[in-house]
Amino acid sequence: MSTGLTRVWERLPLKKQAAQSGIRVFSQQQPEIEDEEEFRVLNLRTVKQQFQRRREVRRDPVTPPRTNRMAVDQDWTAAWPAPRSFHPASVPLPLRQGFTERGAAAPSKFANAELMKIPNFLHLTPPAIRQQCEAIKKFCSPWPKGLETEAKWQRHFPVEVITTDYLQSLPTIRNLEARRVTISLKLSDLKFDAHARDKFLRLVGDRYNKDTDTVTFVTDRCPLRKQNYDYAMYLLTACYHESFVTEPWEASKSEADMEVYLFERNQSKIAAEGILNWSAKEGDNKISPPPAYAQCVEQLINEGENEYNLAKYKEEVKKMLNV
Amino acid sequence: MKMIRNRFGNLSRVSVQLQRHVQQMATSAAVAPAEGATINEFRTAVANPGEHSALQLAKFYTIPAEQKKQIFTGGGLPKQYELQIKTFTEACLMVRNPALELLEYIKGADLTKPVVRYVLYGENGTGKTLTMAHVLHYGALNDFLLVHVPWAPNWMKRPKEASNAAGQEGMIDLPFDAAAWLVHFKNQNGKLLQRLQLKTGKEYVWSKRESTPAGSPLLELVEHGIARIKYASETTAALISELKQLSTAGQCKVMVAIDGFNAFFHPITRIFSDNKQRVTPDRITLTQPFLDITNYDWTNGVCILSVDKIAMTEGYMDSYMPRYLLGQAGFEHLDPFVPVHVDNYTDKEFHSYINYYLDRHWINKTPQGFEEQLKFMSNKNPYSLMQLVRAL
Repeated sequence: MSTGLTRVWERLPLKKQAAQSGIRVFSQQQPEIEDEEEFRVLNLRTVKQQFQRRREVRRDPVTPPRTNRMAVDQDWTAAWPAPRSFHPASVPLPLRQGFTERGAAAPSKFANAELMKIPNFLHLTPPAIRQQCEAIKKFCSPWPKGLETEAKWQRHFPVEVITTDYLQSLPTIRNLEARRVTISLKLSDLKFDAHARDKFLRLVGDRYNKDTDTVTFVTDRCPLRKQNYDYAMYLLTACYHESFVTEPWEASKSEADMEVYLFERNQSKIAAEGILNWSAKEGDNKISPPPAYAQCVEQLINEGENEYNLAKYKEEVKKMLNV
Repeated sequence: MKMIRNRFGNLSRVSVQLQRHVQQMATSAAVAPAEGATINEFRTAVANPGEHSALQLAKFYTIPAEQKKQIFTGGGLPKQYELQIKTFTEACLMVRNPALELLEYIKGADLTKPVVRYVLYGENGTGKTLTMAHVLHYGALNDFLLVHVPWAPNWMKRPKEASNAAGQEGMIDLPFDAAAWLVHFKNQNGKLLQRLQLKTGKEYVWSKRESTPAGSPLLELVEHGIARIKYASETTAALISELKQLSTAGQCKVMVAIDGFNAFFHPITRIFSDNKQRVTPDRITLTQPFLDITNYDWTNGVCILSVDKIAMTEGYMDSYMPRYLLGQAGFEHLDPFVPVHVDNYTDKEFHSYINYYLDRHWINKTPQGFEEQLKFMSNKNPYSLMQLVRAL
């Protein structure tokens, strides 16, 4: 083992010596080149000159934001006349928007994509609206007399018609959506009897909103708005008049079809009469159950059970049965 | 000094124990002959429910052992309460408002009028069954024939056996349950039936060879049903229609008490028919007679029914209100009825119950404010209270 090592050791210096013979060590540093001119290099392989001066791009100095030059009392409607996405240099407000790490302030308005994403209403400031209203005032006719309050105009015009006009930059000025007509009216504006009201509600189905007491027809099946409007009015008229018609099959309305619980047509009435007329003989006047009892049974079932209704029911039953 | 105080503490505890012991001895002595010796403030010596009034409110009265055996052998007290009775070696019931209200109605009722249906309702574990038990005790002491179904949902939920009814197509018989009910009926009313000597009004033919002739005693009819289990359901129907006629004729008074009455109007049962479909309660032969006797078309009786959430199954247990639990059909069947609300304990009742538990040494540890704590934890609900003190 050791003999092998020594052999390697003996071999190594030989190589080193050979290498050292080729190295020349300079003790002093080379003097720096002071002049600008480069050495001319002998270009043997005709390679292109590698060191070329980079051309400096001349940039215009960044102008300070326009907001610096804005007067405090400037006409904002002139500075921001139309809808436009946010521009930091045009809006003299210290806006910040966006999320950074905890504790740091939100990013400023400059180069802030968040502010550009969201829609703004900088063109719809109250002065701008006022200005535009002033401008179109000359096209308006005076408000009709006698329709000053909402109550008045609702009394004179119970039917509300909603249509939408579309403006667009297309070769055609037609828009399919413009044909849609919505008419709505309060159910209380129509005159009904109990049967007609029930039938009307069944006819219109979910077009009736119970909370607001309004019936709404939306028509869009005809190509033109005028036709759709006529059709909606026809629907309203037809439903209204149809609801007053009593068909022969309506007599077969069973308890399951009833919209409300009525004491008169239920088992409860028969039972109560049976109890009250228990010892009555044939030909006696029938005692009918007291209306207060009938009312509280109806209330119990129509309104649903609660402690109050049940206590009332109990009182009435006790009164009726002399418990 | 500390030692001395400790001694004092021990002494005082011993004296309290002694006092309790003395009191207990006094009460146990009082049970037998003399009534008014020393009775705790939460007990009342008035053992006859007919004499209970607002004076006895929130006080305990004891049902004598033989009466308890007569009325409640076949059920009628909740299982947990039965256990408690066994532990305390006395059947005590608290006089509470709903029972007093019912007793007042029953005492003042005009029995010539059609029966009035009283419907007990309330949250789980508020004491509907025990209110009914109180009234049943009154009925048993006042010569009412008891038609008592301890827990109707048992028939719909876990019948012993279901078989096809012989006579009626598509109907299901519960022979064992019917026979068990007949035994219960006989237990409750055996003596009274013997005394009243009630006779059947018409002949009942069970088969070619078996029949019960008209004019035979009711007891014979009942015993036939018990002996011939196959005909128990039909016997029940016959017995109940007989009872209706007899009481209408004025020969007896009938008190109907059905716990979990809404089970008769549950949409389905757990019984399967031949074609493996769940049958509805109206297809069970036992249902019809009990619906008949809760109808208003007879006199000389009272109906005490209870509607219970736990008589229903999953999905039908949203509310404890009678109209909800009975449903449309059940409400129409019972209307007009007198709803009686059974509520949780009042403060007075709660305090009285705690005293009772202390007296029975059921609550041993009494740290500061334990009563308040129990009150809040149980929300003064009787069943919750019973469950809470079980572990103490």
